Amino acid sequence: MSTLTRTLKGLPGNIWASIFRNPLPQNDVERSATSFTNFFLHIHPVKVHKNTLRPIYTLGLGLFSLFLFVMLVLTGILLMFYYVPSTAQAYNRMLDLRGSVAFGTVLRNMHRWSAHGMVAMVFLHLCRVYFTGSYKRPREFNWVIGVILFLLTLFLSFTGYLLPWDQLAFWAITVGTSIAGYAPVIGQQLRFLLLGDVNVGQEALLRFYVLHVAVLPAILTLLISIHFWRIRKDGGLSRPVESETRPALVVSQPGAPVTVKAVALDPSKTYGLQGLVRGPLVKTGNVPDQSVFSWPNLLLAELFVFVVTLSLILVLALLFNAPLEEPANALHPPNPAKAPWYFLGLQEMVSYSAFWGGVGVPGIYVLLLMLTPYLDRTPKGVGKWFSKERLLANTVFLTFVLVNLGFIIIGTFFRGPNWSFVTPW
Amino acid sequence: MGINLRKNVRSNEEETGLATRRRLLAWLTGISLSGSGLLSAFSNFVFFKPRATYGAPQRFTAGLPTDYPEGTRITLDAQRVCMVRDGNKLGAISTTCTHLGCTVGLSDTGFACPCHGSLYDQDGKVTGGPAPRALSWYKVSLAPNGEVEVDKNVEVDSGTYLNV
Repeated sequence: MSTLTRTLKGLPGNIWASIFRNPLPQNDVERSATSFTNFFLHIHPVKVHKNTLRPIYTLGLGLFSLFLFVMLVLTGILLMFYYVPSTAQAYNRMLDLRGSVAFGTVLRNMHRWSAHGMVAMVFLHLCRVYFTGSYKRPREFNWVIGVILFLLTLFLSFTGYLLPWDQLAFWAITVGTSIAGYAPVIGQQLRFLLLGDVNVGQEALLRFYVLHVAVLPAILTLLISIHFWRIRKDGGLSRPVESETRPALVVSQPGAPVTVKAVALDPSKTYGLQGLVRGPLVKTGNVPDQSVFSWPNLLLAELFVFVVTLSLILVLALLFNAPLEEPANALHPPNPAKAPWYFLGLQEMVSYSAFWGGVGVPGIYVLLLMLTPYLDRTPKGVGKWFSKERLLANTVFLTFVLVNLGFIIIGTFFRGPNWSFVTPW
Repeated sequence: MGINLRKNVRSNEEETGLATRRRLLAWLTGISLSGSGLLSAFSNFVFFKPRATYGAPQRFTAGLPTDYPEGTRITLDAQRVCMVRDGNKLGAISTTCTHLGCTVGLSDTGFACPCHGSLYDQDGKVTGGPAPRALSWYKVSLAPNGEVEVDKNVEVDSGTYLNV
């Protein structure tokens, strides 16, 4: 009888302890164990460099992008319950979201503004990495993955643009896919494959839907995982080289375990092979004065960015409705027909030269972006915003960014009927 | 202990002549695997390219020649062509703008695109705006029942008419 009472009494505690194997950490050992034993936390290192947590250094842009993606997945899955990718039904389902689905409007607004926000945040994240020289060795390939992630984000947003099947969607995709048609040799084939037909229609809607809800999110998730994994394998977030203290390798007797000495920590202490990982050494706690425990420092920073993201999107979703125009009508193009804003720079360039504006120049941009870490091999200026050693590289990049931003602003605000120049006021 | 496994295996192989045979087999395996990979990539490509499309048909009949009186230019909105009757000749000009795919409309001087202001003359040649090339002309023929048939799969030279 007393055994039973004891079992019952201990039940809540035992269940709790079996789920969370680590108590709320009170000391440093428990803090490391927390990052180690929890599935959701073990993606974090036990300790992070202080520089990683400087808000002014990262601006949290990568985290903003991630949390926006998470919110897009969640709101997107909810929207899928009420959406039908058919030209006969899609538009009516949009009206239903407004009229008869509980929270339908807010969900669609959240999805829409998160999508625009993610395009912007991923691009700003790319700019941050560039201006701090963080793409340099050994982070070259993670930069390339990042560029691919940026392109995927654009494509994901673009495929979602068609789904409401209103005039805005229909003509933006007609114009956008026509830009793809300007690619030499394969352009028209590519457009046909993408649309499944010669014009935007039922096949295009179905294809864009499948790409938008299954194919692209899956690829994006995989690449995000690799992107994060490589951050740790490449030695954590970039920081000024001066702050690195490298442990010294000690050649030991043949047959004895390999040892490594952390010079900064304690010259007389030796560490086992467990602490020695190929590449940048982050495991041995070799810079104790500059790193802090992930629990709670990193987690609080992440929580903060998440709360900011969520509240910003909620406020936007409550204040501004996602646009919905008249149903798509293939016979009556609006004047002017505009691509989504992030492609308006392209469309503006296309109005000067079809091939160069739509394919040539953007192709060169992407190629240059991907090759950046392989062309710029000087190890200087890593980990500082606008460092003096990177004046040339930063100026070139900033010029490209400003020129394209200029094109987008002209295309968005200064182009009226017949693509003629108008003033927005 | 310090046994270098790799080195031992290599030198053994070289002594017995196994290395060349093993290398050949490795190459053959590699080639056949990448061959299969290429084939399946290609079959995916074939899969994604639809054999039948469900939109408006590319080849269609467009009424009797008498439906197009002399000197008329009649647009068929759903099919995105403009039927041009000139004397006893009948031609079909695309109304899909060559710039970014909007539908052009008839204007006094020919065609005008409402999206980005491309202008074309009566024969579809570019006279202004961002359009990179002239509007396409399509093959027009007479079906056995005497109806006009337009085939948008076959582009013909500008100014190619059917005598009716």
